[in-house]
Amino acid sequence: MELMSPQTYMVFSIILFVIGVCCLVSQRNMIKTVIGIEIATIAVNTALLSLGLMRAEALGLASQGPTVEPLAQVLAIISMVIGGLVAALALSLVVDAYRHYGTLDLKKLRRLRW
Amino acid sequence: MAVGVGLAEATGPVIALIAFSALMPILGYIEGKLKYKYLTGVTASVGFSFALIYLAYFLWRYWGLLAKGNALTSSFPIFGPPLGVEIRVDPFSVFMALLFAGLGFLVCVYSIKYMEHDTGLDRYYAMLLLLVAGMIGVAIAGDFFTLFVFWELMSISSYSLVSFRKYRWEPIEAGFKYLVMSDLGSLIALLGISLLYGHAGTLNFTALSAIFAKLSNIDRLYGYAILMLIFVGFGVTASVVPFHTWLPDAHPAAPSSISAMLSGLVIKAGVYAIARGSFMIFAPWTFDYGSLFVIFAIITATVANIMALLQRDVKRLLAFSSTVNIGFILFGLGTAAYALHLGASTTVAIMGLVGALMHILSHAIGKGLLFLAAGSFITRAKTRNIYELQGAGRAMPWTGTAFSIGLLSLSGAPPLAGFVSKFILLMAGYSVGTAFMNVATSLMLVNSVLAAVYYLRLIQICVIRPRGEVAKGLREASPVIVAPLVVLMIALIVIGCYPWPLLDMAQRAASALLP
Repeated sequence: MELMSPQTYMVFSIILFVIGVCCLVSQRNMIKTVIGIEIATIAVNTALLSLGLMRAEALGLASQGPTVEPLAQVLAIISMVIGGLVAALALSLVVDAYRHYGTLDLKKLRRLRW
Repeated sequence: MAVGVGLAEATGPVIALIAFSALMPILGYIEGKLKYKYLTGVTASVGFSFALIYLAYFLWRYWGLLAKGNALTSSFPIFGPPLGVEIRVDPFSVFMALLFAGLGFLVCVYSIKYMEHDTGLDRYYAMLLLLVAGMIGVAIAGDFFTLFVFWELMSISSYSLVSFRKYRWEPIEAGFKYLVMSDLGSLIALLGISLLYGHAGTLNFTALSAIFAKLSNIDRLYGYAILMLIFVGFGVTASVVPFHTWLPDAHPAAPSSISAMLSGLVIKAGVYAIARGSFMIFAPWTFDYGSLFVIFAIITATVANIMALLQRDVKRLLAFSSTVNIGFILFGLGTAAYALHLGASTTVAIMGLVGALMHILSHAIGKGLLFLAAGSFITRAKTRNIYELQGAGRAMPWTGTAFSIGLLSLSGAPPLAGFVSKFILLMAGYSVGTAFMNVATSLMLVNSVLAAVYYLRLIQICVIRPRGEVAKGLREASPVIVAPLVVLMIALIVIGCYPWPLLDMAQRAASALLP
């Protein structure tokens, strides 16, 4: 089976990161903000994996079957776990905010001054 | 040169702190049964004193090796460097770790009495222990992988500590804002780290510095991109100005003990990561980032100073002043990098770094003291407005004295610690000798004077003026709250009068940072 080249994965992960940040900046709903963070996390994980593949190609490991150095994948797994933790914490804050205000609209929440 | 030590020996304080934090839920259960509400607090303080004593022992045992410029390394037998986990302790790590554990211990003692009316204290102390464990881990990490894991341990505990009093609106909003901004920062830093891996195939600091020392021009551009990602990513936590907006909201919303931790230590961990990520890997004589750091430092200090002048909320004012001082620390780092890139003598660069390190120390102690003292005022007076706190220092003499000494130290009054660090920083800036650095240093001097304006105004309103309406009914805080304040106050005076041992240590730490 022909895989996509790692460079394509890298390009798509950069696009995904931009989508995540745009979602973070533009959306008014708190849960959508959390989704934006999650998309950005996934983008970074994909970038790590594709860079690991590129590295394997550069070293010539790919000719010996699908072998990569473990570091990128370990870091991606750790980053997934951390992303899950952050999402749980953020959603618990969202629940508290909803109990307080009865709304998830960030514009109505902004009582903090600059 | 690297000297091998045992893994358990190098990570001792981190293991002790994590073990004590795992103990907390059980103790919380027992505490509920026994009706003795100080059990978790006292045990957590014992945990911090373990870490502190262990670090002191470590320093005593290995100082001979460290002082000669060696680094102590240790790793797992199978997944070791250059690919895997490495713990690397050099004088800079020990300097930061001692600061983290010391201030953490004092804040924990302060919390015993300060937090007594809150519920869920087992979670509070578990998070506090994990926060300091994460920061010490960041300080002793020998590669970006370990650094990132401990970094997230630190970040996640600080998010939950900021929103600890979640029954009020302010901590929830500030905590959410902090979480979103700081997590995006961590992701940007992780993107930089992944590009670093893609280029070099390793994340080990020493291996990376060897790879990035010899580069072609295209690769140098790539290096600058990575440097920017790492600077922006860790700069969010360090609250460098365009990314500082979480800080003035998070500090007032958090409990005062946590504000002291955030302002004293967490943002310093950001500066530490920036310093490691730039100086260790991108050699300053190849890459020119010194002028960039200096420009960011001036913007940071100026903007935050102007914002601080407008504040009436005492904790918000102190929060903006933290950002100002991050500007000063960044200025020291920038001076060193600029001088090295220019080809000036290493002495100037070391002087800039020593200034930055001493300012990390004096600002951590001073701002920790100020937030703890402000917390002591606020618990009694139930207000954060500085005009309502008028004369509170007269009603609470110990807290008032400590508050004034802390403010005088930060404004740079001579016999105190803040004078030593600011003097070295500005002297380093002027001794580079180019027109750019002269102008930049003069701007920092102006900023230093501007900062003194609102520090002295705070002393005048809160301590010198006669008691206002609120201050009439105040009485002095409990001795458990006052004791950490007095210890920090004495530390400021002692460092100011006799800084030589610390200057010596800071100098060795600075030379450890240069490749």
